[in-house]
Amino acid sequence: MHKNILGVIDATTHNNMMEDLILNRSMCAVPFAGRYRLIDFVLSSMVNSGIESVAILHSYENRSLMDHLGSGREWDLNRKRDGLFFFPSPRKESQSEIIGCFKQLRRNLDYFYRGDRKYTLISNCHTVCNINFKDILTRHITTNSDVTEVRHKEKSLGMFLIETSLLIDLINNQEYNGYESIVDVVIDKNQTLKISEYEYTGYAAMINSIEKYYSHSMELLNPAIWKQLFLKNNPIYTKVKDEPPTRYVNGSLVKNSMIANGCVIEGHVENSIIFRGVKIGKGTVVKNSIIMQKSQIGTNCTLESAILDKDVRVENGVILLGTNSAPFVLRKGSVQGALMNS
Amino acid sequence: MVRKKCVAMLLAGGKGSRLSSLTKTLAKPAVPFGGKYRIIDFTLSNCTNSGIDTVGVLTQYQPLLLHSYIGIGSAWDLDRRHGGVTVLPPYTESSGVKWYTGTASAIYQNMNYLSQYDPEYVLILSGDHIYKMDYNDMLEYHIKEEADVSISVIEVPWEEASRFGIMNTNKNMEVTKFEEKPLYPKNNLASMGIYIFKWSVLKEFLEMDDRNPESSHDFGKDVIPLLLEEKKKLIAYPFKGYWKDVGTVKSLWEANMDLLQEDSGLNLFDYNQRIYSVNPNQPPQYISPTANIHESLINEGCVIEGNIDHSVIFQGVHVEEGSIIKDSVIMPDAVIGKNVYIERAIIPEGIHIPDNTIIRADKDTDEIKLVTEESLLLI
Repeated sequence: MHKNILGVIDATTHNNMMEDLILNRSMCAVPFAGRYRLIDFVLSSMVNSGIESVAILHSYENRSLMDHLGSGREWDLNRKRDGLFFFPSPRKESQSEIIGCFKQLRRNLDYFYRGDRKYTLISNCHTVCNINFKDILTRHITTNSDVTEVRHKEKSLGMFLIETSLLIDLINNQEYNGYESIVDVVIDKNQTLKISEYEYTGYAAMINSIEKYYSHSMELLNPAIWKQLFLKNNPIYTKVKDEPPTRYVNGSLVKNSMIANGCVIEGHVENSIIFRGVKIGKGTVVKNSIIMQKSQIGTNCTLESAILDKDVRVENGVILLGTNSAPFVLRKGSVQGALMNS
Repeated sequence: MVRKKCVAMLLAGGKGSRLSSLTKTLAKPAVPFGGKYRIIDFTLSNCTNSGIDTVGVLTQYQPLLLHSYIGIGSAWDLDRRHGGVTVLPPYTESSGVKWYTGTASAIYQNMNYLSQYDPEYVLILSGDHIYKMDYNDMLEYHIKEEADVSISVIEVPWEEASRFGIMNTNKNMEVTKFEEKPLYPKNNLASMGIYIFKWSVLKEFLEMDDRNPESSHDFGKDVIPLLLEEKKKLIAYPFKGYWKDVGTVKSLWEANMDLLQEDSGLNLFDYNQRIYSVNPNQPPQYISPTANIHESLINEGCVIEGNIDHSVIFQGVHVEEGSIIKDSVIMPDAVIGKNVYIERAIIPEGIHIPDNTIIRADKDTDEIKLVTEESLLLI
């Protein structure tokens, strides 16, 4: 039954609230939870739900996304039949918050005709979750719905299940129905189609601003939360980087933190998320912060409530203080010297 | 098929009986090492990092896990259209089953594999050593010296020399005699079990060795002496760097402890010579507010709530509150209960240590405690 679903992930969405973190990448490629990119969560959920054919709608700028997904091997999507497909955006500047743009789907309608998958699941790319979509399909069928919208805490999660033939009809009749995306279908007050809501009760977090990025990252340090996200039988897959185990040097002190592989920790780390290959020098104190992959922090620094994007270099003796509502953000590849902010 | 310049043959069929219960259900090359790897990862990664893309892996003892671990070789980038990794277990032919009775017979029985690539050189490796080496440097040396066979050697302390296969050499590094574990060693150059043969010479001598009913079909014991007898040019290639035979529980433990020392010579963090392994796909490690960690290596998927001091912790290990782990190696997915004390021990894969257990070797010995399900029942 679940083999009957086509997955569509809209990786074109753009949100200005993510500012510095999406200067060089699309939202779906924003690093999260120490070793993942945002898209890993929805994509892995789809694969773990038995979906074998996934199309990625992507925008013009997609290098980091392509590099990350590759042939889809890490998700077991490098298949002879089905697997991973890429649908480029028809426009150079396709950046909006709307999910499931019909114009972009229309250009790739062959994909929907060709397969014999009865249902299509359209999802955004920036929700952190580990959902079993089989349950949603079961509900969709038993309630005889035309469209099922997944919701979480009374808000849309930006995921929609629809019969593939109906989706094709809606796209083909765009001139008459005026719908520009799947969202338009669901919010149409005069809708004759049966729209159902599915309330997802597990953990889900939509990352669409720096503030949310920060608060949902910090939430991961609560074992009750990460236990809902990282399930032994439904792992979140990601691109593998072959880092060695993390080395804790004598004198290091680490409390309540999530730490990826390949790090060298010589200083103090508290309530923080440290991505792979990060170095934290002697005498440095990192608190309530997120340090992305391969950033190097010198000795005797103090970092509080900071987000360091990847490849950032912080020289010795630097003090960076943010707050929980306004974390200090350092852009990808930047260098922070001790006297720069003084 | 397209000719290959150098094909590697990796001997991975050993039982490693001195590793005791660790090799009960898996071959020695598959034993976990260094917090994330299996022993064979080092040789396979060395091949990849040396640009050798054709590797035959000879298996025999308990091959199930090893075979599934190697798979098609993608973890080491050895899933190649032409060449790549090929697992070579013993097989039957019209005359019957031919088990690999020695290192040389294992290669002899896979001459067909080598013939299809018709290489100029054959690199023979052993899958149970921990080291990083660029085999290309050795191959260049072999070619420059116009040797028939090159044998990689490492200087060992004189007092330990009688534990190794020792190469006696003249001043040009030509091997004059091979002595297996000599009581009174005349040299301190130990064979690392790494050979480069001219393919034509290897073929000729393996056939000769096969015809000898007295032979035990071992490279060190039979083939090398035969080559010396026939006046072939054997050159010792001096290797400088970290190399360890992890044949015993003690040496396996020592090699793990070496990783915790920054100047041990084995750098896992050198990105130019990365050690690849099959990824277990687990989330980052979580270090709780009650944890204390000093001088340790910890892998992904761990949940650490206790105290870790100078230890190597593999993926998926859970150490609960109040426990102390000192100078130990905890293999994948082990669960260490509350208020456990572990010192100088190896905890094998998947074992559950109940709350309040104390594990340490007797005070006066320098032994390493290898825990088993059975030994836990006795505590």
